[in-house]
Amino acid sequence: MDTTFTEEQEMLRKSASDYLAKEVPEIKVREIEESESGLDPVLWKGMADLGWMALVVPEDYSGMGMTFQDLNIILEEMGKNITPGPFFCTVLEGCYPIMEAGTEEQKKKYLPGIANGDLIFTMAILETEGIYEASDVNTRAIPKDGNFVINGTKLFVEQANNAKYLVCVTRTQEGTLPEEGITLFIVDAKTSGVHCEVIPTIGMEKLCQVDFKDVIVPRENMLGELNNGWSVVRSILQKAAIAKASESLGAMEAIIPMTVDYLKQRVQYEQPLAQFQALQHIVADMFIRMTAGKYLVYEASWMQSEGMSCSKEVAMAKAYVNQAYRELSRLMIRLYGGNGTNREFKPGLYYRRAIAADIAFGSTDFQKDLISDEIGLIR
Amino acid sequence: MDFKLTEEQEKRRKEFYDVCKELREKRPECIYTLLDAFETDREDALAYERNCRKEFGERGWLRLGWPAEYDGIGTMMDRVFFGEATGYHGVPGVDGLGVGMLAPMLIHEANEDVKRRFLPPIGKGDVLWCELWSEPNAGSDLAGLTTTAIRKGDEFIINGQKTWSSFAHRADWGFGLYKSDPQGRKNHNLSFILMDMKTPGIEIKPLYYFDGRHFYNDVFFDNVHVPAENIVGEENKGWMVAQTLAAFERSSVGAVMTLVRQLEDLVQYCNETKVGGRFLAQDPIIRNRLADAASEIEASRTLSYHIADLQDRNEMALFDASAIKVYTAELTERVAALALDILGSYGQIKTSKWAPLGGSWEANSHTCFIYSIAMGTNEIQKNIISWYGLGMPRPPKPAPKA
Repeated sequence: MDTTFTEEQEMLRKSASDYLAKEVPEIKVREIEESESGLDPVLWKGMADLGWMALVVPEDYSGMGMTFQDLNIILEEMGKNITPGPFFCTVLEGCYPIMEAGTEEQKKKYLPGIANGDLIFTMAILETEGIYEASDVNTRAIPKDGNFVINGTKLFVEQANNAKYLVCVTRTQEGTLPEEGITLFIVDAKTSGVHCEVIPTIGMEKLCQVDFKDVIVPRENMLGELNNGWSVVRSILQKAAIAKASESLGAMEAIIPMTVDYLKQRVQYEQPLAQFQALQHIVADMFIRMTAGKYLVYEASWMQSEGMSCSKEVAMAKAYVNQAYRELSRLMIRLYGGNGTNREFKPGLYYRRAIAADIAFGSTDFQKDLISDEIGLIR
Repeated sequence: MDFKLTEEQEKRRKEFYDVCKELREKRPECIYTLLDAFETDREDALAYERNCRKEFGERGWLRLGWPAEYDGIGTMMDRVFFGEATGYHGVPGVDGLGVGMLAPMLIHEANEDVKRRFLPPIGKGDVLWCELWSEPNAGSDLAGLTTTAIRKGDEFIINGQKTWSSFAHRADWGFGLYKSDPQGRKNHNLSFILMDMKTPGIEIKPLYYFDGRHFYNDVFFDNVHVPAENIVGEENKGWMVAQTLAAFERSSVGAVMTLVRQLEDLVQYCNETKVGGRFLAQDPIIRNRLADAASEIEASRTLSYHIADLQDRNEMALFDASAIKVYTAELTERVAALALDILGSYGQIKTSKWAPLGGSWEANSHTCFIYSIAMGTNEIQKNIISWYGLGMPRPPKPAPKA
């Protein structure tokens, strides 16, 4: 057992941390959040130059062939200053589905472009019920003249406004179980009949409504097997849940020293707030909550990286971090007092993201339902 | 980052679990919690504790991680796996004070003579130790203690009172902290001394826990003569020795594994118990709450492993250790409360034919506080995290009384 990171991993972390500290200060985060597109091309190019999008792409496809665990180190660092943009969706929702389910031709066609930063990807999963269940997939793909025709509306598709391609989860057959009859397609976002609109949300990460109206997709764009697409979705949801938990862990790690700094600077009753024991214990509780969750996330990320079966550990990590991040950001607001609710100050940035992070890839209650099965409670 | 165990570790771990499982099957009916093994009026419990201790001593498992010259075997990590196994199966026989805290501290701090005299009996499981630590007016402010150990020739003469001494009525020896220089500066006036509990002048009185159990004691000293060679470290430098000892207190893997077992027992109970026409396991609220507890227990388990891993490499993660202590202690209280909620009317029953899981949950609802309060209260740990971990300034001390 070795519960520390390797020297190479520590170097990767350091280089990410240095780059983000310099290139993504708070003002930049706000600027990207408030921009219409939610994409900063200069930052995107910089990340591509550092090889972040190439990190997990195999070397045969112009990538660096590094591990899921390595990727999570980057995500943890990105979480510290809540770096906005299409990195998460491109890697988790584009690169991984293609690596896992793509044909040789598809891998050759898309992976090098993802690796060098040319291609932005995202995945269209959710529909009207807004839950990560196959039963909510009602967007149809019907075979016609050697192609498929897609009709339906997808919701909460991250960065679809910037995406070159969407991995669209469709229903191709009514099965006895909702998980049967699901098929994935790689859809060029410019295809006629694709319409995208940003939904204003609390996290401001550009979650979109995407309408598909008689969208014609060539058969060779089918990703994975016909009617057997749900297993790919499930696998992606699991990876995305850990990845989101890694981002949130990073955010929690950042919140604590920020809050301590604020408490040290703010003076009331002729002493810094940091000297009041009532406040110290709240910060200590934040530290304890973060620390206890840290290795739960690392464990899930390690197991996933090793290809071990880890649905229980992933659900536990996501459920834990969902709640902990929300609680830490709530306490951050409280410790900043009035300034915690001032737009100019940092707590709001984290608080809003904590709520969005909880919802993404399975809310707390969704995860807890999975956990109850995993610990052996009968249904 | 790699939580995988080596083949050798897996093998050792399995052996620990197998032996503890066998011992658990022999556990007498009267033991519902580990503390029962030390209850005064339960001769079969005492005999069981002695047998377990003897078995572990013979296998060398009370010397895990010790240096070879003191007959040690295995690594610090093996010690952790062994702690897991006894915690999970609820088996006594490891004297938490002697084996868990005193021995590793002696290996670091004591002179050769003290090591040669005191380590072997601990390693064989021949002795039980107690802690002579808190006093009626020195709890969290331990360094303010007043029991004196005054050097006279080749002896210390001890006078005063200690309290909250677990199992002192069963112990052969006691380790403690005494004021050896009454005029000295606070924290620089204490000595760490080992004492035979049969020495004349010692009086032990039970201090009953609020459920009626007797594991704590008050211990009174009236001119107790202790050989000066029983000191650990230098005279008046006992505070540092005590700090080293405290660091060994906070490895919590055993406590976490006790929770793992409790959760498994609760899951089984919910799968077997019908209320209002359905199994408790099918109640969405119960599912949700058990899932939450399971996540928190797993969080605690993974962090415990991290701390053990660092200790194994002689790197102490001080603030993480404080964090895990607080977290696991509070989790222990939450799991006890959750169990009472799930058991409903049956949660209140002490040992009787009506008591689910042998009445252990009524017992746990009392004992769940021990971990939060002992070993430096959770609030003291939060001070440590705030001042030394996060660098927040200590609140000013109150002005001295005029």
